[in-house]
Amino acid sequence: MSYARRTGKFLAVATGAAILLTACGSGEKTPAAEGTAPASNAPAADTQTITHAHEQEIGSYNNNTSEEYSSKDAIVLNRVLPDVWYFGADGSVQRNTDMATYEKVSDSPLTVKYTFNPNASWSDGQPIGCADVLLTYATGSGKFPDFSFIDTEQWPRVEMPDCKVGDKEVTLKYKKSFVDWEAMTMVTQPAHIVAEQGGLTVEQLVDAIKSGDKAKLKKAAQFYNKGWLFNGKLPDKKLMPSSGQFLIDSYSPGQSITLARNENYWGEKAKAAKVVIRFIPQDEQVQALQNGETNIIEPQSNPDVLAQLNGLSGVTVKTGDQFLFDHLDFNFNKGPFKDDINLRKAFALCVPRQQIVDNLIKPQNPQAAPMDVRNIAPFQPGYAEAVSFSGGDKWNTVDIEGAKKLLGGKKVKVRIGYNQPNPRRTQVVELIKASCDQAGFDIEDTGSEKFFDESGDLATGNFDVALFGWSGSALNSGWTSTYSTVKKCTPEGKGNNKGCYSNKEVDKLTDEMLGETDPAKTQEIIKQIEKILWDDLATIPLYSQPALAAWSENLANVQPNPSQASITWNMHQWAMQ
Amino acid sequence: MLAFIARRLAISCLVLLAATFIMFVLVALSGDPLADLREQSTPQAQAQMAARTAAMRLDVPVPVRYLGWLGDLLHGNLGVDKSGNPVSAQLAQATAATLQLVIVATLLGAFIGVTIGIISALRQYSSFDHGITFAAFVCFSLPVFWVATMLKQYVAIEFNDWLRDPVIPTWVILAAAVFAGLVWASIYNGGRRGKLIAFGIGLVVTAVILYALSASRWFADPGLGFPFVLVVSLAAAAGVAVLVSGWENLQPMYAALAAAGVGALLYYPLQQVLSDANMLSILGLGLLTIVVSWVLGHMLGGLLRRQAIPVAIFSGLLTGGLIFFDRLLQAWGGYVTSVRGRPVATIGSETPNYTGDFWNVSLDASMHLLLPTLALILIGLAGHSRYSRASMLEVMNHDYVRTARAKGLPERTVIIKHAFRNGMIPITTILALDFAGVFSGAVVTEHVFGWRGLGEMFNKALKAVDPMPIMGFFLVAGAAIVIWNMIADIAYAYLDPRIRLS
Repeated sequence: MSYARRTGKFLAVATGAAILLTACGSGEKTPAAEGTAPASNAPAADTQTITHAHEQEIGSYNNNTSEEYSSKDAIVLNRVLPDVWYFGADGSVQRNTDMATYEKVSDSPLTVKYTFNPNASWSDGQPIGCADVLLTYATGSGKFPDFSFIDTEQWPRVEMPDCKVGDKEVTLKYKKSFVDWEAMTMVTQPAHIVAEQGGLTVEQLVDAIKSGDKAKLKKAAQFYNKGWLFNGKLPDKKLMPSSGQFLIDSYSPGQSITLARNENYWGEKAKAAKVVIRFIPQDEQVQALQNGETNIIEPQSNPDVLAQLNGLSGVTVKTGDQFLFDHLDFNFNKGPFKDDINLRKAFALCVPRQQIVDNLIKPQNPQAAPMDVRNIAPFQPGYAEAVSFSGGDKWNTVDIEGAKKLLGGKKVKVRIGYNQPNPRRTQVVELIKASCDQAGFDIEDTGSEKFFDESGDLATGNFDVALFGWSGSALNSGWTSTYSTVKKCTPEGKGNNKGCYSNKEVDKLTDEMLGETDPAKTQEIIKQIEKILWDDLATIPLYSQPALAAWSENLANVQPNPSQASITWNMHQWAMQ
Repeated sequence: MLAFIARRLAISCLVLLAATFIMFVLVALSGDPLADLREQSTPQAQAQMAARTAAMRLDVPVPVRYLGWLGDLLHGNLGVDKSGNPVSAQLAQATAATLQLVIVATLLGAFIGVTIGIISALRQYSSFDHGITFAAFVCFSLPVFWVATMLKQYVAIEFNDWLRDPVIPTWVILAAAVFAGLVWASIYNGGRRGKLIAFGIGLVVTAVILYALSASRWFADPGLGFPFVLVVSLAAAAGVAVLVSGWENLQPMYAALAAAGVGALLYYPLQQVLSDANMLSILGLGLLTIVVSWVLGHMLGGLLRRQAIPVAIFSGLLTGGLIFFDRLLQAWGGYVTSVRGRPVATIGSETPNYTGDFWNVSLDASMHLLLPTLALILIGLAGHSRYSRASMLEVMNHDYVRTARAKGLPERTVIIKHAFRNGMIPITTILALDFAGVFSGAVVTEHVFGWRGLGEMFNKALKAVDPMPIMGFFLVAGAAIVIWNMIADIAYAYLDPRIRLS
């Protein structure tokens, strides 16, 4: 038995097999032409499925508890559990007139009248109205601590609404005027489901809320906190009626969640029949888009991803700003900048803000410019006006000579703290060092992995200048504490005001703004606050962090949103062409 | 033996316990679990921090948290993650995903790797051996994430594009043919003339196959067909029978041919049964095949029954497998249409909301498993082939192999009966550890291909500085290693009488 013979035989058999294979494959059927149809042929509107990719997996049908509140749920529920308002295309507060209209009926006390659409109802047929608002009151007012609720700042400002089950009109009376009254959370979760799961009728639930009967609501609260959690499987669909254009259709753990058009929606129905949200890691989204496994992606921006996306055909790429900006905070509690406005000015004069944007942000967002005020984002109305009023733009050009003069030949050591690893911020500090060292500063990079820790540099005030970011929104009540005088400059006491900046005038203006209900006047006050913040050089805003989104060219009405609402804010309008 | 196993188990449990403590402390100290919330100026940030602090018990020192976890564990409770969700649900889901992903790859990788290793040992220092060694080290040194990205680009995205008009360019046919020729020539063990002939045959065969596949647009609607199934299954049956019992004893071959022949002849009757198949009926058919093959082996095997029965069963299953594969390919055209012309997937374990018959769903699962399995096999190939080559070479140089040859035993018997079995002993350990490794997931592969398995769970929790999911993962992975190590010890004793008797 030789190898030669065996090999020869094997080859002969293989040849025969090959000929057979090809003969059979082609002989039996004609090629399936439909299998090769180009992917751009849009299916009829009734059957359209549009897929979006998000890194994190939805965890709960209730995004209002403090345990669950996050974008992973919000991204799915934007159009499943909408409220009477939403963050519009420019991130501003828009009214959801499908559900309710509302108007301010009195200024003192601030009183707002909500009129729910008579047709507005949960997808299981129960009307949306008073009971749902009272549930939100119960969860948000802090009077029923068994309910876990994320935002306990809003509802304590309001008296308990006085309405009956079935009422479509609800009037809110504020104890104190409130700037963000238009963004009041009204409808969160279906009250009739909470009642039923709590072993109550809707009337009993409402009565218990009105009479403050905590014991009676205990079971309902338990359901509210835990009953909508996924934990690897979809809760009973009966527990998840929708108040929006989509409802939850199916869920595959670790893979995707599917939303189907709510056929019972009373307003304009969703264009696509289904929207699928697939859970795909950020760095894998581009290839998934290229292979048609997802239609829309919104990955974290970086130059490589942008270049990769720009190299694809058939894909629309959009860059822009978002409500997330990096800034430099001076330490007003200790260190060289404390009580030394000239030193702060000298530092501001040598920080190369334009160069930082040119080198680090423009590659990802060609339209980027230095951010010149702190509390109005570049894409918001009134930004340009606030910039010119506050004089923020005059700090755009580096003036080494001017800085030298202010320093008067002193050599000042400045420690800039930030969180590591963060390559972009490391580069920012390098650019500042290159520029400011010429003026006489001695910049030291004190970036640390523990920067944000409870006992880290930021909390303990172990920095001269801190470099970090704030994420914000169109709401004005969120940022005021960042610039208000703190009671005590300790890690626990200083809250968001990390540098312990203090100015009586700013305190007065922020107080005034919190109670201002007229948007035009609010804008006026913000302008004044920004001017003082620049005059004092409380902080130096640097840039708005770039945002990135991409989608298949054959989709219509896809629009990124700079707020936390994300690109899914208008998913009911998405359509294939 | 029992006392030995019990002692090993007890020691392993203690080691595991100590390891959980170290692991817990290291993870808890690895960063700031609230980092992502510290840059939020939204009114919600404070409440989120409070909720997370409560869920993770950040208000008590790390050792106390560990004791709490241990106490919960004794009550069968794996604790909650940072958002307060039970770890056990996630762990079950992740384990299922990982098993689905890694088992096929591990089995295939081990089989292919060991086979290649043995062939290259038998052809030591041939050009085939050098080629395999080179390829193994190339694969070994490739980073998984890079391989995965390349696979996605070329095997998924570009292949799917190509499928729109599946014509193989001439230069690809030529290059593949030359390459195949070189492989054939390098495997061939003989003179220069023989090598040249092998090269020529390999080149021509490959070129003809590829040309025919391209010209007939086979890839648009692939299939095998009855003649192919018949010829290939008979040929494979004969091959296996020769390998196991040689040309001298023909009874096993008759049994194998009978099993393959019966299977192949059932090709047409089976089509009806297969058209509405499900997992259960496929398993039933497999079982039936085994029974029939066993009977055939028993009847036709004569004195060599003990060889004939496994050979017949193998041939029967192989034929069944071919018919299964053929039926799967018949569903291809419909499947491709239903995924809009892009069958090879880059991400996830399924097309969302995919519905279809058994064949379509199976194709969907296969197409999602294809790339991660390829990546895992490529990376794992090197280890298996190198180990089995080394082990085989060592055995081949032993005295008893020389004695066997001196007795005049045919080379086939020397290799299969004497060398191969002994050569497998050290590889058992590696395979056992491999299977234990299955339960640690494949961190990078799972991440890149979007599988929420154990590796991804570990990775995500570590990034979030969330010890509880990591401890759940660690228990599964640690227990798997302890158990499989024990299995390896037992298998060792079974395979090697010297260990059993000492």
